[in-house]
Amino acid sequence: MAIEDDVLVIGGGLAGMTAALTAAERASRVRLLSYKQSTLCHASGLIDVLGYAPDRSGPLVDPFDAIPDLPQGHPYERVGTDAIREALHFFDAVVGDAYRGAHTDRNALVPTGDGTVKPTARYPASTAAGLASRPRATLLVGFETLPDFDAPLAAAHLRETGVPFETRGVTLQFPGIQRADATLTRYAHLLERDEPVDAGAGAAPARTVLAEAVRPHLEGVSRVGFPPILGDEHHAVVRRDLEERLGVAVFEVPSGPPSLPGIRLERLLFDALEELSVRVTTGVPVVDYEASADGGRIEHVLVDRNGQRVPYRADSYVLATGGLVGTGIDSSRERVSEPIFDCNVAHPTDRYDWFEDDAFGDHPFARFGVTVDRELRPLAADGEPEFANLRAAGAVLGGYDYAAEKSGSGVSLATGYVAGTHAAAEVRG
Amino acid sequence: MARDTEVLVLGGGSTGCGVARDLARRGLEVTLLERGNLTHGTTGRMHGLLHSGARYAISDQASARECIEENRVLREIAGHCVEETGGLFVKRPEDSADYFEEKLRGCRDCGIPARVRSGREAREIEPFLAPDIDRALEVPDAAIDPFRLCVANARDAEAHGARIETHAEVVDVLREGDDVHGVEVRHESGPGKRVHRRSGSTETITAEYVVNATGAWAGQLAGMADLEVAVRPSKGAMTITNVRQVDTVINRCRPKGDADIVVPHETTAILGTTDVEVDDPDDYPEERWEVDLLIDRLAELLPILREARTIRSFWGVRPLYEPPGRGTEDPTDITREFFLLDHRERDGVTGMASIVGGKVTTYRAMAETVADHVCAELGVRASCSTADEPLPGSEELEAAMDDFGLRSPIARRSRQRLGSRTRDVLETDEPNPVLCDCEGVTRAEVRDAIAQSGTDLNAVRIRTRASMGNCQGGFCCHAIANELHPAHDEPVVRAALDELLKERWRGERHALWGDQLSQAMLNYALHATTLNRDRDPARTGESIDYGAFDRGQTGDGAGAFVGEKTTDGGDR
Amino acid sequence: MSDTGGSSAEDGGEGSESGPTDGDVLETDGEGAFDPIEVFPETGEPDLRPGADDCYKCSTCDTNCPVAAVDEEFPGPKFQGPEQWRLKRREDHDIDPSITKCSNCMRCDHACPTGVPLSQQHNTARAEYVAQQVSRFSREYWRNRLLANYGTMARLGSRVPRLTNAVMGLSATKWLNERVLGITSEREFPEFATETFREWWADRGGARVSSEEKRIAYFHGDYANYNTPEVGKALVRVFESFGYEVAVPDQRCSGTPMFANGMLEDARRAATFNVEAFRELVEDGYDVVCSCTSCSFALRQEYLELFDLKGVETVATNTYDAVEYLRIYEDLEGALAEASGDDGQPAAFAYHTPCHARNQGLDGQTVELGDAVDGLEVHDVGDSCSGISGTYGWKRERYETSMTIGAEMFEHIERADADTGLTECPTCAMQMEHGTGYEVRHTLEVLADVLLEQ
Repeated sequence: MAIEDDVLVIGGGLAGMTAALTAAERASRVRLLSYKQSTLCHASGLIDVLGYAPDRSGPLVDPFDAIPDLPQGHPYERVGTDAIREALHFFDAVVGDAYRGAHTDRNALVPTGDGTVKPTARYPASTAAGLASRPRATLLVGFETLPDFDAPLAAAHLRETGVPFETRGVTLQFPGIQRADATLTRYAHLLERDEPVDAGAGAAPARTVLAEAVRPHLEGVSRVGFPPILGDEHHAVVRRDLEERLGVAVFEVPSGPPSLPGIRLERLLFDALEELSVRVTTGVPVVDYEASADGGRIEHVLVDRNGQRVPYRADSYVLATGGLVGTGIDSSRERVSEPIFDCNVAHPTDRYDWFEDDAFGDHPFARFGVTVDRELRPLAADGEPEFANLRAAGAVLGGYDYAAEKSGSGVSLATGYVAGTHAAAEVRG
Repeated sequence: MARDTEVLVLGGGSTGCGVARDLARRGLEVTLLERGNLTHGTTGRMHGLLHSGARYAISDQASARECIEENRVLREIAGHCVEETGGLFVKRPEDSADYFEEKLRGCRDCGIPARVRSGREAREIEPFLAPDIDRALEVPDAAIDPFRLCVANARDAEAHGARIETHAEVVDVLREGDDVHGVEVRHESGPGKRVHRRSGSTETITAEYVVNATGAWAGQLAGMADLEVAVRPSKGAMTITNVRQVDTVINRCRPKGDADIVVPHETTAILGTTDVEVDDPDDYPEERWEVDLLIDRLAELLPILREARTIRSFWGVRPLYEPPGRGTEDPTDITREFFLLDHRERDGVTGMASIVGGKVTTYRAMAETVADHVCAELGVRASCSTADEPLPGSEELEAAMDDFGLRSPIARRSRQRLGSRTRDVLETDEPNPVLCDCEGVTRAEVRDAIAQSGTDLNAVRIRTRASMGNCQGGFCCHAIANELHPAHDEPVVRAALDELLKERWRGERHALWGDQLSQAMLNYALHATTLNRDRDPARTGESIDYGAFDRGQTGDGAGAFVGEKTTDGGDR
Repeated sequence: MSDTGGSSAEDGGEGSESGPTDGDVLETDGEGAFDPIEVFPETGEPDLRPGADDCYKCSTCDTNCPVAAVDEEFPGPKFQGPEQWRLKRREDHDIDPSITKCSNCMRCDHACPTGVPLSQQHNTARAEYVAQQVSRFSREYWRNRLLANYGTMARLGSRVPRLTNAVMGLSATKWLNERVLGITSEREFPEFATETFREWWADRGGARVSSEEKRIAYFHGDYANYNTPEVGKALVRVFESFGYEVAVPDQRCSGTPMFANGMLEDARRAATFNVEAFRELVEDGYDVVCSCTSCSFALRQEYLELFDLKGVETVATNTYDAVEYLRIYEDLEGALAEASGDDGQPAAFAYHTPCHARNQGLDGQTVELGDAVDGLEVHDVGDSCSGISGTYGWKRERYETSMTIGAEMFEHIERADADTGLTECPTCAMQMEHGTGYEVRHTLEVLADVLLEQ
């Protein structure tokens, strides 16, 4: 027999989890199916809503000034401004203290690992003290064995962007790490557990040794930025401890992948799912579906369990499998497709029309995805919904370039919220 | 009249570098000028095959004999540039059996060791060969890294006193009456190592003799001296797979045709090629049909290629030349021989010769011919040593080399790239993290390359392979660029980084479907979403009103800290 | 043991050189012959380089690796997987020794967003490492071989279970194990049951339900047989209560500890035996069910990835975890809801999902079943790894790592509002007991308690 639920969400990223949480507040049995770990672990953990307009003007001080002008078909245009606001409120309530930025509609400017700045609407508490739009003299600290982040260079780059504060960088040896190829999680774990490390004269706790190494470089600064490795589950404790030891604010500079802030957000949302008794199944893919006789509704989907195809049935479904990166959108030399339901994905026939010759050009591939109606139902080529009970959310949607706009998380939240709401409303009494 | 240098060699490809090395070793004073990086022209855009000669064993036996001879020489003197893969000429059922026999006889005639393998034996050597391959000819083809080869020649030339100038474009050839006596050159960033954003300069360099080794560009160059050299540039497409499906060079055994070779190259395989005559070696279309043809046609030999991930494609221009009067229509029929055009004999103009045609496999022999000619012209008596003296890096490798604290495959790959220079480069007391995970390139190796080539990260790339793996630089370009700091300031580092990213994209564009399209989107997301490299105010020059943005709330940042000081008079 | 290293002399690294120096012309004709897609012929290992095509370098595998987070000597699954394979040439066989630090938990497999065959690459690299770089005369080799072949040890030990238990519990034995074999003395050896599952099964006269339609073949593995027969008994009773005919064919160890120790030839022998035994039953209409999630994982995935055996696919696609099977083919939640709600004692469990269960999509099922039963509370302790990974945590040099990895899980268990542990994996259970002192039960036992109360 099939495994039965009211709402079935396919995809465990930001959009899928938001849809599941939203639905779970309105329906009794919600299941989230997530094949592999989502792209949240690639993401910086920032919640961008809209940083640049589609004509690339910006950075936008207030995303809500520009949203009404977005072109037809843009996911924000589909769901409307009110839904975006509701979704943000919903997110703020779910994550609580862990995120900041809800006090204003305005974007914050966050320094990146490159030393650029980027506009974002919500930011992890671990990033809050580091805002580039907050004028405080800043020290960036990098480590010799973490070549992705060159702190002195990033500081120099920040100066080139005209930030209104003094900034400099220093590169240190990370206490307790001998090998040059330890994973980021090793750094985080060392700090989180405050493991004893060799401090020259005997062993001392890692955070103490790190603070001692940073201290001589603090003169004149009131905040210190590190790569995002300051602890894992208990990162707030690690940060607070360092702040107390150093006497200045401590923050993390977002980077990735891999990205611990993204993973922390994922954990927060998973905890919320558990709280709302959402059933979570991971590790097995949805590979096919069965439609009603008239083809208008999805009867059940088929999940591949090591060769067996097991039916999972629900009243309504949310497709949140991601875009090209999350493999919710697939491509071959001939075509671009959505692999589970084969929903229509509009794209030029000639693959040489999928990209621009400039690396940061206006790439059509960045907009690949399904087209939806205002209820977020994927539309077939004829403009009719593919299925009455299927909705789509997040990066599987087309019509927007989240990388250029800096709108990825916002679209996932807003469309996940709307898709989850409609999906729950669809549940048959 | 005193000249600045004895010999000017124009062109930093394999031929030019080979000529410079040969002459420098003979004690001549040499200056080499290259308008881009070393290998920037045709050398850096070939499939990396060190011919056994079997390919020409029927059509062009003179070339074939020369190939097998030079093949043996290069295995000796350029060990760290050559991988002894062996090669197979494989026959499908529909391919001519007579041609196969003819190829075998041709190999024997030319002294190319060849052995017939059954289809089954061929598949034992290369398991991914198609099940219907019925016979194969095993020959001593090999793989060669043209970048490393060229750089090693240039380094040896430098070690013997030569001046090597890259990013130095010849803008005029100085001719007085019937004598060529030098060139005018434009240095992109001044003479010496290239540094981004440093202003350029021009220089006049006079010489006793000028060697035009600019390959497909030889006609344009000769034109500056009002001489005519009718090169017939022909483009060829090559597609690179993400992993090696084969460890042996696979050729299709049939008379001629496009898309008939797969060369294992370092971590990848290179599929080649096409052959289309072009008007301008700097401007020709890079077309989809060429990529599709390579994949579809070569999948007949190796079915796994049909679904294999490709990471980029590139095009090279062959410097084909045919002596006046032959009038060959089809570029595939133009001879692959090389020609030394002595402009004194040919045009009555002294002081210059052009070298055209040929291929990388025979670059050293070509260089020897040119050097002999130059010596004769200048009345110098000195003999060639390039066939016997190993190139830098190819000297005897220490028998037991330690791992320098690196994981074994990283140490192994580094040794394969660096050869006998391994210890010099990798021995360090500082942390030596891997900067390019795909190719296993460490910081020490990148720093060594930077020491050779200034801020030019493409020059670092060709020396180390950093950024040449599956992410096509998406995850490592900035880490490589970081190594330029603090010797160079941030705007220079940024310019160098942007140039490398641009170059990576140029080839990756041709592989945008399936896995590589997803990779490209991930790279784009990392660069644009996470790092905002596309809208970086430092790049766009936009000035930002920082004060208009959210400045956080009091206590933001966990709240427990004290003493947060403002530097500009506090919150406004 | 394998002779995979021995055949390289004829056509190994010299292959490409024999061509050029040898001008002989050999006319042969192998037309029409069958050629398996062989591999690196020198070692008999599959060519897994194309598996690197799926890697986007996102490092999700690395961030999910429990070993890399606690031990900087382990560079992470990405390096030991797609990166190491991509850097390989035919003649390269030097596997970095850090492969032995991989615990084979397979969280990387579960995490990888793009389907890189990480565990297959790790298993193969480990086997290559053991075959080529580990001395047959080293203590590690024999210790690992002993641990990997636990079933053999157990077979002998369980003949005189009381004596064995007494001897294994002696401090002198532990001292000897630690010093001579490198087996940690920190752990208590699992006790052997006084009656094995198979003895019980034989005593009761085998199956008590017969059915033409509903038939399962039980793969109990060594542990349920020798150490926790109550799990096997629970399985039989539960399935019989749903009307299933149960078969218990002859079988060997699933091979999991052998993969994890790079003893691929031992594993191949075990797999060959098991596939043969179960294939015939599957063809007769039986489905295979397992009570141990590592066993079901081996039968479903690892056999397929590593061995080209007749019927391996048939067995793989018809193998299930026992609880999963009932969820799919029976109304298990309905049955539980019906059976519960009377005077049963309220019970609360701290549930740990074994990593290998996660890889089969089984992560939520025990918690969901708990929801269906009144008075039963199952608290999920999160997605941490127990850290023992079969034989890994038994090695003296890995014990600390194993316990450091497990620390997070211990904390979560202790934080949960329960004082009994619950899991489907016998070695996870060992670690849970060892780290918290809790009694740990198997999901099937709890199901049996609820369903079979009457």
